[in-house]
Amino acid sequence: MTIGRGVIRGHAVTLRRFLVTFARDFRDGLALRRRGGGGLLVDLFRGPARGEERVVVQDATTEGLFTVEYPDERLPVYERFRVLPVLVYDDEDGNVRCTSCNICAKVCPPQCIWMVQAKSPKGTVVPLPEDFFIDMDVCMNCGLCAEYCPFDAIKMDQNFELANSERHQTHVFGLQDLLVSSAYYAQTHPEAWSGPEEVAERAKVAKKKDRRLQKALGVEA
Amino acid sequence: MTSRNAAPDAPAAGGRAGHPWRKRPARFSMSVMDAAGPVFRVESPAAPLRRGRDAIGRPVRIAAPIVRTPPSIRRLAMTNQPPVRPEWTTTIDPILQKELERYVLVTNWEKLLGMVDVVYNWGRRSSLWPLGFGLACCAIEMICTASSRFDIARFGAEVFRGSPRQADLMIVSGTVTKTMMPLIARLYDQMPEPKYVMAMGACASGGGPFKEGYNVVSGVDKHLPVDVYVPGCPPTPQALLNGLIALQRKIDGETIVQAPWYRGGVERDVPIPALGPDLVDLRTVELAAERTAQGLIEKREAGLEKPRLIPAPTADPVDPPPAEAPSGKPVKKPKQAVARPSAVWLGDAGLAELADRLNAELGAGTAAIVQAGLLIPAEKLVDAARFLRDRNPIRYDYLASLQSVHYQDCIEVNYHLDSTSRPGSLILLRVRVAEAEGEGELPSLYHVYRGADLQEREVYDMMGVRFVGHPELKRILMWEGFAYHPLRKDYLEPYYEAPTKVFASRVDEGFGRHVRAEELNPHGTNLKIPQGFKDWASLSGSNDPKGEAPLPGGVQVEELESDQFQVSMGPQHPSTHGVFRMNVRLDGETIVGLKPVMGYMHRNHEKIGERNTFLMNFPFTDRLDYLTSMGNNFGYALAIEQLMGDEAKPPERAEYIRVIMAELTRVASHMWSVGFLLNDLGAFFTPALYAIEERELILDLFEWASGSRMMCNYFRFGGVAADLPPGWLDRCRAIVEDRLDRKIDELDRYLSGNEILLDRTKGVGVLSAEDAVGYSTGGPVLRASGVAYDVRRAAPYGIYDRFEFAVPTGRAGDLYDRYYIRILEMRESVRILKQAVRKIPEGPVLAGKKSYQIKVPAGEAYGRVENPKGELGFYVVADGSAAAYRYHVRSPSFINLTALERMCLGRTIADVVGILGSLDIVLGEVDR
Repeated sequence: MTIGRGVIRGHAVTLRRFLVTFARDFRDGLALRRRGGGGLLVDLFRGPARGEERVVVQDATTEGLFTVEYPDERLPVYERFRVLPVLVYDDEDGNVRCTSCNICAKVCPPQCIWMVQAKSPKGTVVPLPEDFFIDMDVCMNCGLCAEYCPFDAIKMDQNFELANSERHQTHVFGLQDLLVSSAYYAQTHPEAWSGPEEVAERAKVAKKKDRRLQKALGVEA
Repeated sequence: MTSRNAAPDAPAAGGRAGHPWRKRPARFSMSVMDAAGPVFRVESPAAPLRRGRDAIGRPVRIAAPIVRTPPSIRRLAMTNQPPVRPEWTTTIDPILQKELERYVLVTNWEKLLGMVDVVYNWGRRSSLWPLGFGLACCAIEMICTASSRFDIARFGAEVFRGSPRQADLMIVSGTVTKTMMPLIARLYDQMPEPKYVMAMGACASGGGPFKEGYNVVSGVDKHLPVDVYVPGCPPTPQALLNGLIALQRKIDGETIVQAPWYRGGVERDVPIPALGPDLVDLRTVELAAERTAQGLIEKREAGLEKPRLIPAPTADPVDPPPAEAPSGKPVKKPKQAVARPSAVWLGDAGLAELADRLNAELGAGTAAIVQAGLLIPAEKLVDAARFLRDRNPIRYDYLASLQSVHYQDCIEVNYHLDSTSRPGSLILLRVRVAEAEGEGELPSLYHVYRGADLQEREVYDMMGVRFVGHPELKRILMWEGFAYHPLRKDYLEPYYEAPTKVFASRVDEGFGRHVRAEELNPHGTNLKIPQGFKDWASLSGSNDPKGEAPLPGGVQVEELESDQFQVSMGPQHPSTHGVFRMNVRLDGETIVGLKPVMGYMHRNHEKIGERNTFLMNFPFTDRLDYLTSMGNNFGYALAIEQLMGDEAKPPERAEYIRVIMAELTRVASHMWSVGFLLNDLGAFFTPALYAIEERELILDLFEWASGSRMMCNYFRFGGVAADLPPGWLDRCRAIVEDRLDRKIDELDRYLSGNEILLDRTKGVGVLSAEDAVGYSTGGPVLRASGVAYDVRRAAPYGIYDRFEFAVPTGRAGDLYDRYYIRILEMRESVRILKQAVRKIPEGPVLAGKKSYQIKVPAGEAYGRVENPKGELGFYVVADGSAAAYRYHVRSPSFINLTALERMCLGRTIADVVGILGSLDIVLGEVDR
């Protein structure tokens, strides 16, 4: 009699999974602990503070998958994870890194970047953005702007919690909305920050600034 | 305001039409008031005090008799004004009032109802039932949110309903197209109150990256009221949950007193827009008519730079006259790429021999070699095709791809033919027809290659070329009545700015101020209607120009007086894997006719692709088949690299990374398709959840390496965007070596022997090998019918020739084989992956220097990869400029649908669902 054997075998798979789940929970902390280092049962009544949520790692060794209890737990954010672009300013002197060279606007596939170059009172171009707009209703989070920015000025932010109830006033980010400090960037992108390219770039910029300062102070080179 | 309403001795109210108490909802006071007449009463502390301030410090005495609010005012009350009790104040000592409040008047209406509100809102926000309704890429993330890893059930929102009448939350997940908009509005109107709309992703919020397209609605809020926007492209599942929490907060803030859905006469339905020459919102039809009659669109277009037309390629490439660049400088003569239709093809010698043979057999002048393709006069096309298919030594039995190009002097329709018996001998046929709109005409190859069916209709729709002899030559992606043929170079979209990106307004000096695309268009929205259009009165939301036509060969049911009837499945149907629609003719329960109706997700990929620079187009290819973005990247990279030649040869490590990514994609995609095929067959969600698990781990790998779970945008011309991050390969190895095999085994054991599955799938939807080839199906569908045609073997690309793997084939060509072939292919993919992760060398990952200015020589290319859905091809015509002159996607999902009717005839509706599931279509790719 072959009829039904396949069905039973299939059900055995689900049954096994069902039992294994409970056995595992029992083994790994008497069902008082959540898998992946997640919260205790008491946490049901006391959510973690903003920014202190547990990060739950699931990798090849995880048996099956388990639920990430967002918002109390989160998946790890990979460094390259990208949502919307931001502009970095340097913490030490508050300088915006962007020189309004327009390359990001030139590579932007849906053309969601607008930029106004700063002008000196004499009318010459100053290598700074006067204003900078990103329309996040058009942005496709592709990261090309950050990839091709020669000044490490535009970077992809990792904040995905952006839901709101209004778009016409809030979804076009201006310069002030886009600026983040270099410390913030260093924190979100530690590998890139300490990578050889960005270190060299920072050193180069620092040297240039120093020279300019020296010049301004009247020190002979 | 009537005199009835304005009390003569009410200083606070007299002459102030906007005074809040007049807008009060009449309902809550009536019973008391009617009985008691004008009363003076000490009530809520808030109202009288506020009133007191309003009335410039004087104690307020309002002796207005309570009157029934006239309907006009009741309508005003719809707006969310804070309700003000109609109970009044008298002059009273504030201290006494406080005492009274504390000890006598325990509460007021608002507080009382506030307590109800807490419970009422808690109940509603914890049991939101979303409409099971997905449009595009975001829908995949929405499904992932519902799956076990993110588990939307924790928020009480897991009950995805198939019917709008049972749902109270519409998650608009993906690009809203004009073709789909009337149906979305209809679904919204069918939802009962209270109802909420969530715009998920950039497209639903404001048009997104496809906003500039001619068939895209610039945000669903142009038509529906949206409660929450979830930005992102696509938002990750966690971001969607964040949006859901935002919606719950919003619900928490509502009060039963103000809830508009309990008010009489509140009409929250939206009018259904009409598909006329364009999508017309009937609320603004007069304005649209007026502006159209003024010719504002034409006036605007007159001042814009138009796309340039190039002459069609000729046999001996004479130098085209140097065109004047807009700047006045003569353009440098573009470099020419090596003329070859694809990287692997018949070869110059073979082609010359073939041309001679055709000329000898069918008379001189049948074939001339033009740029490595055979130019055939239109009248000889059918004969030549028949000869190539039946009598030529290499039997060209497989129409790989069919597309058209709009040149200066002609429209060229060209055909890529391949042979399943001798794969890798691809040739290109060119047929040229008149350039003028509506003039082009050539014989249809429908009866030689059935696979030409939908593709010819697409050319007709997009270019206006007629195929004589095609039994059902109708628009396929746009709707009947759409005023233009959008892929013609002379068609400018409503939001057209410039022939190629970069748009001047973004970079040139003096510009740079943000301007929404809406502001460019005189209609203020994505609308363009020919000036001569007069038939405004006939526009109606109840028209259905896409699906109206009766089935081919069908008779009107009434006339037939039999029990045949027509069912429209989709485009909103849980089993159609997106917004796909089938018009089915049934005799009893048996299917006697089936017509796929598509275009509900047509988001103008090709038109936008002709404006994008080559690099910009990468992230757009991600959004074709959004389950396999790495594979799409691969195909597109190959097409452009074919033009660029050796300069863009990826380094060794990059080649390995590409293969690893492509094969991981295949496993992830097949997991998904197997899971959802079972879902379609009625094994509701458990197999899908099991399958999604492994996919999630693979997506983690993608996110780690490329930055995004689905829209990877990871490949670049000549390599990949970035090297693998440290630790990536170890996890990948662990997953590939230990995990995937076990999981595939589990899935196999779990499903393959299941008698119910066998009953539902064995012998169902049979496609014979001959048909499978004739209908140009590809990928698992083709191989399940026993044809061992796999582009990785037929025309090896990348470094696939170095790996050991088998091309599994089925025998019966039925639904079961199409299911099982995917299990087998996953195993082969794991086999390739194991070899690749073991052998991957160190080294650079990108040829040459990283640059955004990519110089692509002029020429034609067809890059093809074996994507999980079948052969994915990118046909590109480059003219030496920064953007493609013509960019066409040979999409496997689209072409596989040609065979759908063949497989479904004689079966039942329940089988259709399974058969469609076994084709594994993705609407982003079907409609592009």
